[in-house]
Amino acid sequence: MTDATAMSVDDLNFIQRIRRDYSPLVIAMVGLFIVVFVAGATLTDDFLTWFNVKTIIRDAALVGIMAIGLTFVTLSGNFFLLSMKEIAALSIICFATLMGAEWNQWGPAEGDPTTSALMMTFLVAFAATMIIATITGAIQGALIGLGGNPIVVTLGAAGLFFGIGSWWSDNLVVSYRRPHGAEWLGTGSFLGDIPNITVAFIIIAVAAELTLRYTTFGRQVYLVGANRAAGRATGHENFGMAIKCCIIASVCAAFVAVAFSGQVSSAHVNYFSSEFGSSGDMTIMVIAIVMVGGNSIMGGYGSTLRTSLGAIFISSIDNMMVLNGFNSGARVLAVGLMIVFSIIVFALVRRGSRAVE
Amino acid sequence: MADQLLLQLTNISRDYGAIQALKGASFEIGRGEIMGLVGENGAGKSTMVKIIGGFDTGFTGEYFYDGEVRHFGSPTAAEHAGIAIAQQELSLIPTMSVAENIFLAGDGVPQIASKGLLAKKAKPFLEEVGLGHINPMRVTNRLSVGEQHLVEVARLIAHNPQVLILDEPTAALGETDSIRILDMVKRLKDRGKSVIYVSHRLDEIFKICDRVTVLRDGESQVPRAATDMDVNSLVELMLGFELGDMYPARRPITRETPILKVRDLWPDGILEPISFEVYPGEILGLAGQLGSGTSEILGAMTGSTKSRGGTLHYNGEEFMASRPKDAIRRGIAFCSEDRKHDGLFLGRPIMENLSAPSIETISSNGLLNGAKERASTTENAIKFTVDPKRLPQEAGVLSGGNQQKVALGKWLSISPKVILVNEPTRGVDVGARAEIYQILRDLADQGAAIVVASTDIQEVTNLPDRIISFYRGIQIGELQLGEMSSASILEQITDPFHEAGIAVSERAS
Repeated sequence: MTDATAMSVDDLNFIQRIRRDYSPLVIAMVGLFIVVFVAGATLTDDFLTWFNVKTIIRDAALVGIMAIGLTFVTLSGNFFLLSMKEIAALSIICFATLMGAEWNQWGPAEGDPTTSALMMTFLVAFAATMIIATITGAIQGALIGLGGNPIVVTLGAAGLFFGIGSWWSDNLVVSYRRPHGAEWLGTGSFLGDIPNITVAFIIIAVAAELTLRYTTFGRQVYLVGANRAAGRATGHENFGMAIKCCIIASVCAAFVAVAFSGQVSSAHVNYFSSEFGSSGDMTIMVIAIVMVGGNSIMGGYGSTLRTSLGAIFISSIDNMMVLNGFNSGARVLAVGLMIVFSIIVFALVRRGSRAVE
Repeated sequence: MADQLLLQLTNISRDYGAIQALKGASFEIGRGEIMGLVGENGAGKSTMVKIIGGFDTGFTGEYFYDGEVRHFGSPTAAEHAGIAIAQQELSLIPTMSVAENIFLAGDGVPQIASKGLLAKKAKPFLEEVGLGHINPMRVTNRLSVGEQHLVEVARLIAHNPQVLILDEPTAALGETDSIRILDMVKRLKDRGKSVIYVSHRLDEIFKICDRVTVLRDGESQVPRAATDMDVNSLVELMLGFELGDMYPARRPITRETPILKVRDLWPDGILEPISFEVYPGEILGLAGQLGSGTSEILGAMTGSTKSRGGTLHYNGEEFMASRPKDAIRRGIAFCSEDRKHDGLFLGRPIMENLSAPSIETISSNGLLNGAKERASTTENAIKFTVDPKRLPQEAGVLSGGNQQKVALGKWLSISPKVILVNEPTRGVDVGARAEIYQILRDLADQGAAIVVASTDIQEVTNLPDRIISFYRGIQIGELQLGEMSSASILEQITDPFHEAGIAVSERAS
């Protein structure tokens, strides 16, 4: 090995530095993103309007938040949770059931409930949902951490959670009256015309990225994901890591369930299987986003920033196709093609970025 | 000699982007000759081997084979012409039988062949590589790593190559298996085959090679007869300067109170519980061949491999680590023999590798302290002569020697009192090897206790202050500095019960 590869950090210009740090993948991603945007803006009417951009990001928010949670699992080398939509299903049933419960003892007995009573109901339902999500995440994480195969564990867990949710709700739609305490999250917007769910997406994306970059936990996620054996040898066990990451993914799924329920004031176990997003299946959609973002399926490489961009990217393609009148079959096809394409691009870029010894 | 040359490459250049791997290098080998190819990591050995074997086609220069100008477009083309390469990494299919692996390419055997027929056909090739005692029907992953390497060579020999290239065939092998490889190479030479032998183990080069080609910084030296050189002059040729003594000087050590007492430790792979002490300031060597149990002992002491029982008395405390974290927290570091498996995070920056065991100490309230991390990793990188400018690079791009330095260097970040190292210099070039020895010695001089397990007889003779020897899971004996010689150690680790002698006398009677 010669010193030729040991380039000094200081004598690089901006583009060189971008190219050497995390960039080749981001460059490819951003490049593609730009191409799509340019093509979309020129070929599609109403694509590049402020209203449509907001729509794109809002549409990306729910799947995006879920995908950000799942990214922790993937980065830590624990593959994927194939139970994402079932966690959300159980969570939404739990949330809606508690929202609909007639226990507004915080408000007046007669007439419309007060705002504070609605908020208290929301907080109780929200907290209970999050506790259940923590438990579902911890169970799966512990089984994976003990050496269980993530595919087997989470497929099994998926059946379990869906079964409980379906049983609990008698497979019926659980609805609750407006006004209710979750409207602010579902459909509200404190910041003028920017929906709160979009704000939540941005806050979660930023928080997740900062966590991965600047916290001890974030570093451990990368190390354990990059090499589990070396992680163990340096004092970072996958057991605790798998539990923490699965809880994060599970809580993100539950948060999405709460926000979605807030939009439609109801719940059903099938909301995330058949009526959601262009491809219908939430789990597949979320995994697609993690992969389109260029995160390594083997773990140890990637970021939640990539995932967030992946969500917006898929959303904008989907949006463009809707504006051009494609049906849902064509849109599913497009998502599939994007996954294949991005995996190839990222694999090639990554191989190229490895210097020859 | 000139008309005897089977393979001749002249004025070979090859660059990968900014890196010039070969700069007008030359190489030649005659019929029935064993040519050693040596050089430090990064000197261009692998590139040269890849060019000869047709793996790398983007070179400039002349390539003569069997008197003709050739430019092989693929490894298959080279193989058909009679040039075969045994790579460092095994390419056997572990779940198939030995015979099936040997005939994996499918030539030389009928289209439809029974397992018995394959076994019968495989037998002579196995005998050729010294594996006559192995049943060809056995599943490959039941063989030792050394035996698997020999099976790999047997597969190449089945194609009757004229030139066989062995790239570090003994890097992962213990003494017995290495000797098998060397014997095999000699047999091939007797049958008129040419062998290119690439190795870091210089003693082997002198044992079998007729001539030696030295590569340095992509340039080749004129091949010299092995008998005209000794280890020191060869090392100087490789480095381009005088090395002095490779092993640092040992100073007398006063052993008063042990820093660590190992009591009744019983790792898997060891026949009976073992006990020993380690003193501050010393390098204790655990000598033994592959499979003697020394690596299991080090692993069990830090909880990274399983053990049936035992305790460590350390720092006024009795404990047994059930996971590496328990040992790290107490300042006991363990660097395993397989850096790619559990020593490095190859896809992560060097800086993160160096700080991995000490993330907690460089963070406060769960937040990483970037400045602290940079400062401490820069300091350790300098100690291990790794350019601090390379800290943001992925560990995977480093050469073997530098990787080993990072794998070992990361432990300095926890300021360890006891350092356990298994095979400190496996697959490491001579220059880096000397540096690693010096660093281990410096750490000992500063009061750390160091335990080194090694199957390299030169290393285990010359580095430690004291040796405990092991043979097939049994603790044989302890050798003090005055008693340590290659001969005394070899006897204890290869044939302590004089089994060979018994066998010979039985056969004689």
